[in-house]
Amino acid sequence: MSLNPLLPFLMAGDPSLGALPGLLAEAKALGLQALELGLPHSDPIADGPVLQAAAQRAIDRGATPLRVLEALAGVTDCPDLILFTYLNPLLQIGAGRLKALLAPTPVKALLVVDLPFGEEPVFEADLRTAGYPMVPLLAPTTSLARARQILSERPDPGTVSPFAQRFAYVVARLGVTGTGQAMDLEPVSTRIHPLRTLTDRPLAVGFGLSDPHSLARVRSLGATPVIGSALVSELAAGQSLQEALSPRMVGDA
Amino acid sequence: MTDTFSLASRFGTQGLGGCYAPETLMQPLLDLEAAFRSALADPAFQAELKGELRHFVGRPTPLTPAPRLAAKLGLRALFLKREDLTHTGAHKINNALAQAILARRMGKTEIIAETGAGQHGVATAAACARLGLDCTVYMGVTDMARQAPNVARMRLFGTKVVPVEAGQGTLKEAVNEALRAWAGRCDKAHYILGSALGPHPFPTLVRSFQTVIGEEARAQALEQSGALPEVVLACAGGGSNGLGLLVPFLGDAVRRVAVEAGGHGQALGEHAARLDGGRMGVLHGCKTLLLQDDDGHTAETASISAGLDYPALGPELAALALDGQVEVRRASDEEALMGARLLCEAEGILPALESSHALALLPGLATEGAATVLLGLSGRGDKDLSTYQSRLGI
Repeated sequence: MSLNPLLPFLMAGDPSLGALPGLLAEAKALGLQALELGLPHSDPIADGPVLQAAAQRAIDRGATPLRVLEALAGVTDCPDLILFTYLNPLLQIGAGRLKALLAPTPVKALLVVDLPFGEEPVFEADLRTAGYPMVPLLAPTTSLARARQILSERPDPGTVSPFAQRFAYVVARLGVTGTGQAMDLEPVSTRIHPLRTLTDRPLAVGFGLSDPHSLARVRSLGATPVIGSALVSELAAGQSLQEALSPRMVGDA
Repeated sequence: MTDTFSLASRFGTQGLGGCYAPETLMQPLLDLEAAFRSALADPAFQAELKGELRHFVGRPTPLTPAPRLAAKLGLRALFLKREDLTHTGAHKINNALAQAILARRMGKTEIIAETGAGQHGVATAAACARLGLDCTVYMGVTDMARQAPNVARMRLFGTKVVPVEAGQGTLKEAVNEALRAWAGRCDKAHYILGSALGPHPFPTLVRSFQTVIGEEARAQALEQSGALPEVVLACAGGGSNGLGLLVPFLGDAVRRVAVEAGGHGQALGEHAARLDGGRMGVLHGCKTLLLQDDDGHTAETASISAGLDYPALGPELAALALDGQVEVRRASDEEALMGARLLCEAEGILPALESSHALALLPGLATEGAATVLLGLSGRGDKDLSTYQSRLGI
């Protein structure tokens, strides 16, 4: 299977929910297989300043979880979506209602930042059975033994399933989402190899990546780079999705 | 390397608490639990903590009879557990110092903390100065303005105070930022959470370092009056003070009462009364009663007291309340101000605004027929002088 070259992140409702279907169609036209869509939250404890501000803008414009899911209903011209969210809004909706709300949307998986495996086993199993698996996250602090456990608790549904439902998210560095100074990719590079001995599912690498060279470097490791905060900033500054992403989709330096 | 928790991470029949943390923080939390268990079992840790609590903090704190206030309210006896007399002026130092010693045992060189009223920040800053640890405290800008003396005290102790602009600029935002900072520096830094909240093992850790309050108070009550009080009463923000005083009385035939901030109204956003106003939810790593809107976004809160405006009740205290072990009541801003005035005039003690919420309940308890009350005076009111001056017109 060929490598998925890029996994972009957009914040739902920023700039507006009305603009969302158009952005998703543009992403599809660019050839993207999958896209992370952020559900704006009041207390995004794992996000840096850029995504915090984007979430606040979206909330201020009325992008509630229900309105986001309604805006996605019936959307088909779109990459597979991974809903990036915090747990509480999903808990308040409840598993039953959430499944019904997700059914007409292109959401294929959930990335719940503050839900480690085992904390809400019934909720998680219910959603996985319905076709909404939780993305496993592997941090710099995650030991190999724990990584093995995470990957078995959140298993690979197999090669018939799309990237969005199969990949494991490798957090590139300590800290929160966002771009910093030029990032040292050596530490994450040395983590990829042992993880490869645990699983042959696709890996995505994110947190702190933005420049084309870093993205290419991640691809050269056989992993899909994630671009979030840098993209959200550029879209907020008026760039089109194509302008922001095209230079970042190629190369494997 | 530890890869599973050993201590119970859930409280009560509804399983509150838990560990809803980002993956980056999971190993640091596992390591923290392991270090905590090993410290508790180590006589050297216990001896150092006990020595520091005695010689640095000033424990045991007195249990002061308040006969004039009791007579005025129609109580037979009133006792005040004087956490206001600890070094740095509030109960927060018990936990901050213990966690700082624990952090040093773990080989951590930096401390991160959040603070609301500033009492936990000051306590952590003092403990870090005492132990030679670098300290950074995150504090909401609204709280920095209303608790300015505490900001100055932290800075004098060599702590870096980082203003948090987001949201309402209070404790919730400070915790957000402290958690983010910890995720970035968890290899070197320990996060000293000051309330009995957050992901496991924090609620258990904080409670266990605060129950010294209730253990002392219970022994002192028996020694001084030969009996336990009918009612034990404490204010509750996250729950460190409430649990610290009330938990040691759980096996006793006494009424255990925690008082939340009633703010200035009944509507969402006008108070911080989580028992009535909250719904089960997850914030900052634990499941508990949470003031939130229909979308699962954390609601705004209001209280005259910076230490009681957290939107969630700590999970263990919430579980005790839901399971009928602790009564949770509320006192409004105005009632708290009246409570402060009562204590000042009758006993010559200036309470913190937080503690004033517990004092505010005394007239009602007397009316309900309570005769003997033990009240946790969680902190002193020097930090609140400007609020008292403007609101009481003095």
